[in-house]
Parts: sequence; C-alpha cells; structure tokens
Amino acid sequence: MTSFQSTLGDEPGIAEELAESQQSISIAEFFEKNKHMLGFDSGARGLVTAVKEAVDNALDAAEEAGILPDIYVEIQEAGDYYRLIVEDNGPGLTKDSLPKVFGKLLYGSRFHAREQSRGQQGIGISAAVLYSQLTSGKPAKITSRTQGSSEAQYFELIVDTDANEPEISVEETTTWDRPHGTRIELEMEANMRARGQLHDYIKHTAVVNPHARLELREPQEHFKFERATDQLPEETEEIRPHPHGVELGTVMKMLAATDSQTVSGFVQEEFTRVGKKTADSIIDAFRDRHYGREMRWRPPTAHDDVDLAAAVEDATANKGPEATTAFADAIADAVADEDRIAHHELLEAVESAAEAVEAEHGTTFGDTVRENAVEAVWLALIDAAGADDDVVGEDGDSRLVADLYDLADDATSTRKDDETIHAFADRLAGKFEDLEDDRHRLTRATLREFVDRAADLTEEYDEVSFGETARENVVEAVWDVMATVPDEPPLVRELNGDRDATSDLVDAMRATDIMAPPTRCLSPISEDLITAGLEKEFDADFYASATRDAGVSGGDPFIVEAGIAYGGELPAEGTAEVMRFANRVPLVYQRGACATTDVVKTIGWRNYGLNQPGGSGLPNGPVVIMIHVASTNVPFTSESKDAIANVPEIEDEIELAIREAARELKSYLNKRRSMQKRRKKQNVLGKILPEMATKVAEVTGREEPDIDDAIARIMNNVLVERQTKANGDGQAISVVVENNSSTNESLEITDIVSAEPTNLSDSATVVEMDGEWFVKWEPEVGSDDEATLEYEVPDDATFDLDVKGVESEKLTVKQ
Amino acid sequence: MSADNDQQAREQLIDLAAQFYDQFELGEIPHMSVPTRTKNNIEYDEDKDVWVYGDRESTRSANSVRGARKLLKAVYTIEFLADQLEEDRSSTLRELYYLSESWDNEEAQFSDQDESNGLIEDLEIVSGVTREDFHMRPEESGATLMGPLHLREQTRRGEREIHCQKDVGEGGYQIPNNPDTIDFLDCDADFILAVETGGMRDRLVENGFDDEYNALLVHLKGQPARATRRITKRLHDELDLPVTVFTDGDPWSYRIYGSVAYGSIKSAHLSEYLATPEAQFIGIQPADIVEYDLPTDPLSDSDINALESELEDPRFQTDYWEEQIELQLDLGKKSEQQALASHGLDFVTETYLPERLTEMGVF
Repeated sequence: MTSFQSTLGDEPGIAEELAESQQSISIAEFFEKNKHMLGFDSGARGLVTAVKEAVDNALDAAEEAGILPDIYVEIQEAGDYYRLIVEDNGPGLTKDSLPKVFGKLLYGSRFHAREQSRGQQGIGISAAVLYSQLTSGKPAKITSRTQGSSEAQYFELIVDTDANEPEISVEETTTWDRPHGTRIELEMEANMRARGQLHDYIKHTAVVNPHARLELREPQEHFKFERATDQLPEETEEIRPHPHGVELGTVMKMLAATDSQTVSGFVQEEFTRVGKKTADSIIDAFRDRHYGREMRWRPPTAHDDVDLAAAVEDATANKGPEATTAFADAIADAVADEDRIAHHELLEAVESAAEAVEAEHGTTFGDTVRENAVEAVWLALIDAAGADDDVVGEDGDSRLVADLYDLADDATSTRKDDETIHAFADRLAGKFEDLEDDRHRLTRATLREFVDRAADLTEEYDEVSFGETARENVVEAVWDVMATVPDEPPLVRELNGDRDATSDLVDAMRATDIMAPPTRCLSPISEDLITAGLEKEFDADFYASATRDAGVSGGDPFIVEAGIAYGGELPAEGTAEVMRFANRVPLVYQRGACATTDVVKTIGWRNYGLNQPGGSGLPNGPVVIMIHVASTNVPFTSESKDAIANVPEIEDEIELAIREAARELKSYLNKRRSMQKRRKKQNVLGKILPEMATKVAEVTGREEPDIDDAIARIMNNVLVERQTKANGDGQAISVVVENNSSTNESLEITDIVSAEPTNLSDSATVVEMDGEWFVKWEPEVGSDDEATLEYEVPDDATFDLDVKGVESEKLTVKQ
Repeated sequence: MSADNDQQAREQLIDLAAQFYDQFELGEIPHMSVPTRTKNNIEYDEDKDVWVYGDRESTRSANSVRGARKLLKAVYTIEFLADQLEEDRSSTLRELYYLSESWDNEEAQFSDQDESNGLIEDLEIVSGVTREDFHMRPEESGATLMGPLHLREQTRRGEREIHCQKDVGEGGYQIPNNPDTIDFLDCDADFILAVETGGMRDRLVENGFDDEYNALLVHLKGQPARATRRITKRLHDELDLPVTVFTDGDPWSYRIYGSVAYGSIKSAHLSEYLATPEAQFIGIQPADIVEYDLPTDPLSDSDINALESELEDPRFQTDYWEEQIELQLDLGKKSEQQALASHGLDFVTETYLPERLTEMGVF
C-alpha cells in the first residue's frame, strides 16, 4: 500500500480505478466457485448430494401436504454423463414458484421458520441444478402437477449465476400420469464410485422414514423399500423465538416491528414461553442492568447513637409538636423494622408515615416536608449528616464501613485477617460516599469496579493479596443485599434505537430462568417407529430405541433419539455400523467429524455387554447404532450438512439416548447369556443324570427311575405335566403346572383334545373347531407353586399340549 | 475280614445307591450330605474323649453340573466297590484313580487323585463303613513296630505268629494294612514310644532302648497311617500300655502328635476308632530347646502361620499347648530330634528320654 500512498499525488484517479473493479458477487457465483461447501466437490459425491437434496425436498413436500411419500429415484448412464431422475407424489408446485425453487439459490420457505424440516436454507436443490448445468451444460428438466389440475407444467431452466435468478428456456404444459407431484431430471458429470454411500443414504432414509415408500433404480441394481407404517410424522408447528436464543440485532429488528407498547407486552407477545410472571422477572433483570440496584444499609441499632426520630423532628418545621413527634416516630419505627433499607424503600416508608399521621392529626405533610424528612433520615443512615466527625461509630468508623466489613468478612475466606478486611471495607465505603448519586444506586458492573478499586488499593498499601474469587464473592454478597429499583422500564418506542438499553434487555432475557421451548415444532420419529424402521431394514435378533425429552440449545429446541439393533443377520465381524440422522436426513459423509460418532466412541460399551477393543472407540460385533437429532436448527459443521457440530447440550442428550437404548441391549444380552448358560447346564445334566439313573438302577437291580421331575427342579424349570386317570367310561385329566423357578410365570396353555371335554375347571375356556376342542388356560403360577387344570374326556380321546409364555429353555412339557 | 462283614459293607453301599434311586423317583434332586471336613467343624466329644465332626454339613447335589458329576462318580465308585467286595479283591486308592480311566463314561472319570480320595472319605462317612472294610488300601503300607510283643496275624497265606523283637530283623515288624487282623498273644513292654523319624527310630534300636526300657517302638513315618494309629490305639486299649510320642520340635510335628492323640481332621469320623487321647507328648518341646541348649533353625513364615493356626485349632486348645506354642513363637526357633546328637549319640537314650519319661510319670 505504501507504493500507492507515495504516488497518490501523481495519479489522483487510482482509488476510482480500483473501485471500478470492485463489484458485488451473486450468491450463485459464489457457490459456483465453492461447490465443495455444498457437497459437490467430486463427481462421485456430487451425484449422492444431488439425490439427497432432491429426495429431502420430495419428502418435505409430501409430508407438508399430508401425503404418504412415494419417491422414485433413477440414475441412468447418458453418454459421458449421468442422468438423475427424482419423482415424488407431493402436492406439486405452482407455475410461479417452481422456477424459483429450482433456479434461485437461497429461495425457500423455511429459513425464517422455527420448525423442524429437512431442508433449511433453500440452497440444496438449486445447487444441484447449478452443478448439473456447470458440468453438463444442460438445463434441468422439471415437470410438476398440482393436485386437481388436469395438466402438468414442464420447464427447462438453468440458474443465471450473475443474477441468481432462474433462466427459463422451455415452458409448456404437458400431460403426466401422476395425479400430482414433481419430477426433476438432471444431467451431470458424475461417476458411481460412491454407490455404497448412495445405497446407504437410501436405506437409511427408509429406516427413519418408515412412512415413505422409496425406490432406487440405478444401472446395476434396483431396490424397493416399502412402508412400515401408514402413520405420517406428526405435523410440526412454527414457534416464536425463545428468549435464550436470540441475538441483539434480532431483538432490535423485532422492537422496530412489534405492535406492543410496553416491554412487558413485547416479551410476552414476541417470544415463546414468556407469560406475565416471566415478563416481570425479565423486567426486574433489565432494571438491575439498566438502572442498577440501590444499596440497602442496615438501620442504626440502639448503641449506634443515631437518633432518626430526632433527625426527622429537626427537619420538620411548623407542624405542631404532637404531629411532628408522631411523624418522626412512625418513620423511625418503620426503618427500625427493616433489616436493611434502600433509598426508595425509605421513600415509601416516609410516604406511608406522612399519610398515617395526616389521617390521625389532620395536619398536612406536604412534598417539601416529606422530602426533607427523607433526606434527613437517609443522610443519617449513610452517616453523611452534618459535620464529618459528628456521628461516628464506636471505633471512629462510619456506619457504612461497619456494614461493609460484615458483608466482606462473611464473603471472604477466613484466612484474611481483620485488618485487611477492615481496610478494604473502609475503601469500599469511601467509594459509596464519593458517589454523586447519594441514593447509592449502581449497576453490578460499577459495583465490581468499586470492589476492584478498593481491593487494588488494599493490595497496594497493605501488601496482601485480594484475589479474583474474593472480589467476586464480595460483589456477590453486596449485590445480593442491594434492592431492585421500582422505576418503570422504558416503553418500546424509547427502547427502539437505543442500542445500549436493548443490549441490557437481551442480557436480562438470557439471565432469566425460562421454561424450555415447546416441542410441537419438532417431530421425533418416536420409539415405536424407530424400532419398526430398524426391523424393516435389518434382520436382527434384538431392537431397542429411546426418545429423549426435548432440550434447548441456543434457543432452539431439540430432541435426540437412538436405536440399536443387535444380532441376527448383522455381520458379526468388524465394528458396529453407526447411522446418523439430522431431522430425518441421513448423514453420509464426514462420519469422523460428527458429534454423534464422538459420543458413540466415548461410551464404555463393555458395560453394555459389547466387545470394545481397548475400552474406547466403536464397539465390535453385530450391532447397528442409530442416532437421530431433530431440531429447529441443527448445528452442522458446514453448509454441506454432513456432520453435527460438537455442542455440549446436544452431545449430552445423544449420550443419554444411546445409553437408554444400550441398557435394554445389556439386559437382553445378559438374559441371552444366562439362557446360554442354562442351555449348557441342561445339556450337560441332560447327559449326566440319565447315566446316573441307569447306573443307580444297575447297582440296585431295579427298573430305571423317572428323572424328568428331578431335572425340571434342577433347572428351576416350569414343568407342565399331564396326568391321566381312568374314571368310569372316560378318563380324568389333570394338567399340572409346577413352577420351580424363582419368578412368577404366566403361561398360556392350549390343550387340543379330539373329544369334547367336560367338567372343565372354572379358569379354563373351551372352543370347538373342526371336531377339535381347544382348551385354553392362562394360569399365573408363583415361584415354587403349582396350578392344576382338570377336565374329563372319553377314553379314546387324544391330546396335544401347547405351552407359551415361558422361554423354551425353561420349559419341560410331559404329556 | 469275615465274609459277613464284607456282605454288610456291600449292603451299606447299595443302600446308598438306592437312596439316590428313591430321590429320583420322588422327583427330588439327588443329593448326599456329609459333614464339612474343616477344622472349624470339629468338636470335642466329651463321652468318647476324642474330636469328632460338628453339625455343619456340605451337600453334594445334582443341582449344579459340578455336583451332578460328583454324584455320577460316586455311583460308579459304589458299583466298583460293591463288585470288589463281592469278588473279595482289594485295591489301593491310587489304583481306584487309574481304574476310573477304564470306565465307559468319561464324565465319571476322576480328574486327580485328591478327588477320588475325597470321594472314598465321603462314602466312608455316609455309609458308616471304613475304607478298610471296602478293601481300599493306601499306597504305602503301615509303618513298623519293634519291641517285646508276641502276636498272631491272619494273612492271606494263613496265620503267622511273630515276636516283634526276636522274629524280626533290624527293620522291625511291618504293621499290616488292617491291624484288626492281629491278635496280641503276649506282651512284656511297659510303654509305647512312637517316633516320628526313621533316623531316630534306628538310633533307639541301635542303642538298644527297646530292650533296656521295655519299650515298644512304633515308627510313625511322618503323618502316621491309619493302620499305625489303629494298632497304637489297640495296644493302648487292650494291653493298657501308656503311649508316648516323640517328634521334631516344629508345628508340623505337633500335628503328628495331634492326629495320634486326638484324630485328624480328615478322619474325624473315625476318631473313636483311631485316636488315643491318653497319648503323651515327649518332645522336642520348645522348652527343651532352652533347657538342653539345642541347635536350632529359625522359624519360617509358613512355620509361624502353622503355629498361629494351631492356636486356633480346637485340638490344641489346652494350657500346655498354648504355653508351648507361644513360647516357640517368642523364641522364633525350631529343633529336630537329631539335634540331641549335639550332646553325643547316646545323649538321647541315656539322658533326654529317661529324664522326660520320668518327668511325665511313665517310669
């Protein structure tokens, strides 16, 4: 720059010359040069991103219209290029909005809405169009038919990157076999190297959107993902911003736009979760920041030698001795009743004393008299009355020093000696005395300055340290006894344009405890549907899911959900598969940079019965872990929306959600292990005991004993046994359930009998079907207890017992 | 050794198997309870003057895989013993262990000899029949006896009359596995001197101690076998001979005395039959180490532990033993029998034993 400076005089036109080459850049141009920011950094990835953007849009559109999504994706080879076709059954787009949706970046309905949706910025699909025109030079071909219209609209368009506006080359009406929906066809330079990611994306989309039907046809393969439910995700509602999540600029804009007159009305109207009470708290917090608090001093005690009544009497003239005394006593009593009193509190006390005495004595106490009384008492309270050494405490200090000494002494560590504290209190009192505003009104920041100054002086002169914690503690203690002032907050129009006051308001809102934002703006998948989605796409033995309550991060509510699938056909080798989702959109790239992956890695999976080499990192084994973060504003690490940023509040919830699901997994695995053990024991004993029985029979020379009962006992099993006894023409049947386990068991027993049973026990029912009688009995049998079902049948009847409700490992049936 | 006796033993065993059979039939879990064989579960039987098992029982139950295996082995062992009794054969504990290898069922085979030994003990206790009556022998036969005793032994090759001084060599008379096959004919001995080590026994024989003092020398060979304890008991009971025990001066040797006098923990069910509560301890006492100024070795950690555990052993809870053990812990030293040789080879027979035996009132 120095070279320009030196030649400035010679060439006066240089600045103009430079200015000429400066011009604004359209957002489209910017992204043209920065494709990677949107996920179009390579041909392989570009194709996946384009599919993703188109499918996300299609799902959003259909859901918003209350239509169960039916989406078709096709990828064709087209010479040197690939052709991508995405069709949906959404509501379609109008002739006016369609070109802008596809041909203008940053055009969308959601950016300003606080509501959960897949797309947010309105960049995605138009960026795909832009990418396609850049690489293939061909326009996007879009067909859309709105519900009820007889014809469809057909457009061919590109993005005019200079203007960031759609440039339509063909516009015509056409026919289309779908009753409503949108079809987009893009040609682009691409390759199928990322087929794996593409399949993952479609499959994962199917998992978290069990209500959607998806079809993917690519040159080599064809997948169909059918619906698992007809239940659409719950509709979300837009919410007003939460006071904890807004910035100063936003509030200033809102102040300019609001219809409210008062601050209280403004915060109640424009923000969510703010009612009258919360508004009052916000305003109190605002007063503290904007006006400051007033110091409340201790009223004098008997030995203080301060006579407030006398001071009032001195200050009151011409009101008659009786009324004057009554007035003075009333004030002195009111002050003495308080633990501490601030200037505005004194004001009130004098007002009420004046009115009371007026009513009793008929003497009028005018404004001047009242003001004089307030001044006299206040000056006495803060030791500023009359000459300097007139009224002093016993040890020659002002009352303020003694008061502050006590506060500081309580607030600081016991290691500081009295001398130090005293010196500090003396200096701090000095700051109060020097205040111009003798009401002793100051903000916390000013109080902090006072304390710092007093502490610095104490450190300097008394050569002791007065550290940060001690200072903060003193500020806290003093601020605590100070009183919020009753001043009316400014009106909205006064605030509007007052940056400092608005900033105080924003601070006040942040400092106030406010209930978390409502969650109707969010649409979690729900535990049942997560399980359904996992069951649909993974053939596992066990599924668990957890949906957490909503949390808040930066004013945006969010919900975390987790699901786990284990065993079955999942590959037992290698690490667990982690599926990440944000607002129901699968995250395919940048797994390592994602908060979800970080959390999964920090969990000690060994505690949950999984194999985790080294005790950290991803667990090994046949496991799929899915995590869904739903928020009105998911914090991504970049515009391409591949990874969730490490926000502590969200990370905590992710961890809790995973742990919740993992606990279920643990109890499943434990149970499975104990069943395995039981099976093993049963296998070994099943071999040993019969051999022992045979040997015993051999040694004793008897028949082989019946060992089933003994085995059932040993295995703590539930034994269901039929006993038959001849009974006249027929036979009496009893089915005995013997519960040898340590828990109560509920059984469902069905005995299929070939002849009609009679004299059936009360607790059972019988149904006839095609000449067979189904005796149904559902006993509850306590630990070490027995239950019996009895009935009678003719001699020639046959039976078939079917027992449910007890694990097969625990069951012995004898019939 | 009568056939009757064998038949009875066999029936007892088969009854045990029948017990398992009945448990199966009743739908019960097969099980067998035996007294817990630890030092915490032995108590003094005032009537019989010996230490017997207390009330604590361990149950071997088919409830667990381990328990079921144990019972299966028990049944196989019962079959083997019953067959053995029927055929009038006998075998050693070690043979039983190896023999199990030939059983058709692998689950029934013993994994080590401790297991088979333990099982035989279990069966002894539960059936009330001694091992000898099962025809089970230990590997090493009983020890030897030397002294003025004339006896008759029933052997498989007929009756033999033997004088334990005149008819035997320097090695002495070999005590048979089942001493109940012996009849005592004539005895000139005044007392029994049971000696722990072979070296000391040979010294006493060489010095002619048995001859000179009319002593019946019983060689204990370390922890005495059942046969040794049994014959000692019979000699005491039937011939009214006082019994004295002469061992090393260390905790392990006190236990040898303990098992002669009070019975051992593992065979407390047979105490009445094996123990000689009147047996007296000669030494080496810790007090002797001081009195005779014997050469010593320091106590090792395991010696100290053993002494401390003896202080808690109900068999040693007498004033005499507490005093001696505490003295030894104070000294921190132990001495062997042979240490007496530091005063000359004849010191033990000419000085130590006569002095101790007089002190003890044996003569």
